[in-house]
Amino acid sequence: MRWLRSWRLPLRLARREAARARGRSVLVLVMIALPVLAVTAADVVIQTAQVSAAEGLDRRLGSADALITYQPGSGQVFQDVDPTVSTSNGTGDTEQVLPELAEVEQAVGPGTTGISWDQGSVGVETAKGVSDTEVSELDLRDPLSDGIFDVTSGRPAAATDEIVINHELADRGFDLGDELTVRGGATYTVVGIGDGTSYHGYPMAVGLPGSLGLAEKRYQASFLVGGGAVSWDQVRELNAEGALVLSRAVVLDPPPRSEIPDEVKAFESGTDSAMVAVIVLIVVMALIEVVLLAGPAFAVGARRQSRALALMAATGGTPRQARRVVLANGVVLGGIGAILGVLVGLVVAWLSLPIVQHFSDERLGPFDVPWPHLLGIAAFGLLSALLAAVVPAWIASRQDVVAVLAGRRGDRRPSLRSPLLGLVLLGVGIAGAVLGASGRGEFFIAGAAIAAVLGMILLVPVVLVAVARLARRFPLTLRYAVRDAARHRSRTVPAVAAVAATVAGVVALGIGVTSDEAENEGTYVASLPMGTGVVTDAFAEGEQWDTLRAATLRGLPEATVTPMQGVAEGGDEEKTSYYVEVLVPGSDDSEEDTRLLEYSSSVFGSSVLVGDELPSALDLPASARGPAAATLRSGGAVVFTDRGVESERIEVVAHRYDPDATDEKVTRVTVPALVVPVADGRSAPVAVVTTATAERVGVPVGTMGLAVTGAGVSEQQESDAQEALAGIDENATLYVERGYQTDDETVIVQLVLGALGAVLMLGGTLTATFLALSDARADLATLSAVGAAPRTRRGVAAAYALVVGMVGAALGAAVGLIPGIAVSYPLTRGYEPGAAAHYLDIPWLLIVGLVVVLPLLTALVVGLSARSRLPLVARLD
Amino acid sequence: MSVKQALLALLEEGPRYGYQLRAQFEHRTGATWPLNVGQVYTTLTRLERDGLVEGAGADAEGHVVYRITEAGRDEVAAWFTTPVSRTQPPRDELAIKLALAVTVPGVDVGRVIQQQRSATMTALQDYTRLKRRAAAGQEREDLAWSLVLDSLVFAAEAEIRWLDHCEARLRRAELERPETLLEEILADEAEAQAHR
Amino acid sequence: MSAVLQMTDVSRVHGSGATEVHALRAVSFAVRPGELVAVMGPSGSGKSTLLTLAGGLDAPTRGVVEVEGVDLAGLGNAGRARMRRTSIGYVFQDFNLIPALTAAENVALPGELDGVGAKVARAAARKALDEVGIGDLWDRFPDNMSGGQQQRVAIARAIVGERRLILADEPTGALDTETGEEILRLLRARCDAGAAGVLVTHEARHAAWADRVVFLRDGVVVDETGSDRADVLLDSGSPR
Repeated sequence: MRWLRSWRLPLRLARREAARARGRSVLVLVMIALPVLAVTAADVVIQTAQVSAAEGLDRRLGSADALITYQPGSGQVFQDVDPTVSTSNGTGDTEQVLPELAEVEQAVGPGTTGISWDQGSVGVETAKGVSDTEVSELDLRDPLSDGIFDVTSGRPAAATDEIVINHELADRGFDLGDELTVRGGATYTVVGIGDGTSYHGYPMAVGLPGSLGLAEKRYQASFLVGGGAVSWDQVRELNAEGALVLSRAVVLDPPPRSEIPDEVKAFESGTDSAMVAVIVLIVVMALIEVVLLAGPAFAVGARRQSRALALMAATGGTPRQARRVVLANGVVLGGIGAILGVLVGLVVAWLSLPIVQHFSDERLGPFDVPWPHLLGIAAFGLLSALLAAVVPAWIASRQDVVAVLAGRRGDRRPSLRSPLLGLVLLGVGIAGAVLGASGRGEFFIAGAAIAAVLGMILLVPVVLVAVARLARRFPLTLRYAVRDAARHRSRTVPAVAAVAATVAGVVALGIGVTSDEAENEGTYVASLPMGTGVVTDAFAEGEQWDTLRAATLRGLPEATVTPMQGVAEGGDEEKTSYYVEVLVPGSDDSEEDTRLLEYSSSVFGSSVLVGDELPSALDLPASARGPAAATLRSGGAVVFTDRGVESERIEVVAHRYDPDATDEKVTRVTVPALVVPVADGRSAPVAVVTTATAERVGVPVGTMGLAVTGAGVSEQQESDAQEALAGIDENATLYVERGYQTDDETVIVQLVLGALGAVLMLGGTLTATFLALSDARADLATLSAVGAAPRTRRGVAAAYALVVGMVGAALGAAVGLIPGIAVSYPLTRGYEPGAAAHYLDIPWLLIVGLVVVLPLLTALVVGLSARSRLPLVARLD
Repeated sequence: MSVKQALLALLEEGPRYGYQLRAQFEHRTGATWPLNVGQVYTTLTRLERDGLVEGAGADAEGHVVYRITEAGRDEVAAWFTTPVSRTQPPRDELAIKLALAVTVPGVDVGRVIQQQRSATMTALQDYTRLKRRAAAGQEREDLAWSLVLDSLVFAAEAEIRWLDHCEARLRRAELERPETLLEEILADEAEAQAHR
Repeated sequence: MSAVLQMTDVSRVHGSGATEVHALRAVSFAVRPGELVAVMGPSGSGKSTLLTLAGGLDAPTRGVVEVEGVDLAGLGNAGRARMRRTSIGYVFQDFNLIPALTAAENVALPGELDGVGAKVARAAARKALDEVGIGDLWDRFPDNMSGGQQQRVAIARAIVGERRLILADEPTGALDTETGEEILRLLRARCDAGAAGVLVTHEARHAAWADRVVFLRDGVVVDETGSDRADVLLDSGSPR
């Protein structure tokens, strides 16, 4: 009670002060409310989009009490409350006959009535071709299905030749009364149009059970049952018979976690500690940023209140009470900002739901306001305002009362302790970065980065004073700005620190991204010689290749297109299938790992190429081409290794599986070989063998791909040829080697980083500048009294922006290098032992942009807009 | 001292006899400048001679009552509309005393100033006390008396300020040239008089 | 009667070494109940320092400051703050009031800071405002009051809660002579009612309202007038 009462006066003062200094209050409110708003809106949209089990019950169950699903061969199953999390021990009989409705009703218990609900997909013939359509066999007339599919016009299907479609399918040219034909099936009359309640965005149709012929090819059987709640015990009993049950009663009133079978609990993902670390890191950085951005406004506010605080001291107020008055500003503005942010965030979320729905196939759930989350988000806003007011409050409580009462500034001299602590923190940051770089990992570096940034903040005053010392030679406006910035540290330091922290973050992340990119580029392995291409088609056979070759030549008339022969592996159940291994002789018996390639996925469609000539599209070092061709001519094999295997001979092992035989047939042939070492064999074939060798092991040889050589292929030509190929066979693809291509995503990430940095930097700079201008009104009046032109005001504004922006950015860039360089080590450490260890690429363009260009640009903008903004400045007291 | 004009001004309000005039004068000016009855009668005789007042007989108790004439009224009006002349500074004992104290060897000027200031301050306190009492009254005469007191208060305050000023200049002069001070102090005094 | 304020051999030195400034040198000074003492001197003579020491806003380098018999040095910061809430009232030249608080709230400030309930503090404030003659302006903000009215509020804040010692630093400095005198009259009345007052001023006219005038020069008391005598300059039979 007494504690509460002691806050009453400070809160009243803060409330009135906030109303008096409207401009400054609005500034702080925006700083606090914006992040709260953004997070609130995002959270509400996510929570709304996520349909919880309870929310989705009507969509999944209609009005039924349970949905029971049988899958053949699953045997005993285990499920969570919601059967989407389930396991099966799979001991059941795969030939098991799926139960009929009556059996299910009996299994659930007496008094149960149900309907079947089979789902599948069919092709519906449309004007343009065939449309893949999700279909259900469900009697929509039965009350049990109410809520699964809304028929908005027409009526549910009442006969087996009637069907209900959704709007997406109707959009493909169907209306009520139209005929609809299923490819390879029957024709139906459209009697109803509506929408599924769970999903939208693709064609759906619903017919009566048995009408769509799903029963023949169904892999599972589902039933909606009603007539009484299905208990957890019943669910467990049905599980034992291989049925998964979504029970309304169980979802709405779940059993204790201890009742959930252990088999399912294994899937429960414990809270990921790395995830927590990332979230903590983001929250801390955001907090620091908001605190620093809002800090100057509180500092100026506290200075404006210094006379009032001194009067309070004269009338018997204690330093603690003075502190409370300034902190109360944080409480009031933070509280209003947080509430405002949450409320506006809710509105924004509500308004953005239709847009979100537009991009999402799943139907959004009911508007879901996660109050506990919002409470946390609001607390974050309040906390950031409180923290922003802490330092000004502390300074205010230490002010020299006598000096302030006498009309002098009462700032105590800054202590030496904080810069020293700053140096220590910076040292800790550097040490942490070094440790992290040498193997402790990213989180160590992230922690170190926070320490370095905090240390840097403590060092900002020292830097400002140092810059002010250099100011003697500067022109008047810049000299004034620098000295004023150094004098009013309580307002300048947080602004400069906000800019610095932003730049540090951007530079560190920027180094990480570009270094990652450098690694990608450095470790890129060309699949083909530069400029050559290859056409592959996993399903093409025989003459189809000629058509493909002709199509390729049409697209690329200047190119040479040669078919490449290879071992045809695979096959299906009716045909004989083959599998070829290429080994160092005698290695299948040895324990040692003597594989030739670490991992192989040949770009040529086959891992073993067959040819008496060296295929031209093969990427070989020039020095190896001659010997390789010679080896092939002499009947040997050319093999590739990225594991340093050395051998004079290799063994080709063919495994042959006949559909009617029970075991495989193995043929082995050993031939002389040339082992060609490659840096990375991921896209190389394992070997090239001669036709003779292929015949000796008895594997079929066929065209596996088309090599495209002898012409530069432009990107336009490539896409034209690609289209021509797709016209023949959708499985045909053309790949042209173009060397390393920068990922679009990387470019976007860099742009977003730059933009975010620019916005935050602009925010910090503008806040500090306009607060400084409003604070400097007396000085500006003096300047104009001695004859300074209005231009001088602009000059001062621009100079202030330049000082804050440039000092902050330079400091931030320097500090950002530490975690940036450090993080490049774990980021670019190769997976394979012995891989090139480290890539470092510092994005100098980004840094120069942030440190030089952006501050100059900001200064220019501020300078140009300063005069027209003066009324705004006047309100900012 | 314009006792002449003051009596004329009082008579303008209506015929009065000598003793009444004295009482009225003292009441209005708070007995700051006491008059004796002899002085009043001498002045009245002189005014009658100049035709500014005339006898109006005697009242029931036998006091000789005087009345103002037209010429007297003109004289009063002229008096109120003419500013008090500042061309001839009145002889100021304090200024002369201080000027001499500065020049005559062996005199502790600082002490002279201090003593004078204490005395003036004490006087100022007394005036202020009187003023506090006068301010309590509601009559127009109380206001008149209060204004006279204010005149004295401001004069005393000016004197203290001048003494402070002298003291400060003496201190400074002790560090510089002590000889030329006399003229400066006198010049300052003349200036202060002019402003008063 | 024992003094409300007793300063004994008080010295205050600002800075050290080359920048050493002696604001006060061994000043002894006492104010008894019912007494208003004026401290006069040019700027830099130490008169404001004397006032900050008397109110415990600053601590003397040497010497003892006692208020109502209590040595301020022995109280600590919190204790001195409490003294200012309950025993000592300050009035400054101008900007005496907290602009975000109404007249009544400004006057209630010491009470509220002391943890008295808002209602109680407000009632006392209204009474004090009545006493200085502006009871009807209690809910005005300082911005909407004249300089004289603001100064009256300041006086009310200095006397609220029956405080025994009033310290006024040029309280009439920013006012015209007529309004200034009203303020002095209020101070005087408070002292006549038993409080002890210290009035720092550089104007003799204002100092004359005091019972005693102390002259300060360079941190030293150079002179003192005690006017326990009756009206001296005028005849004792002066009219009332």
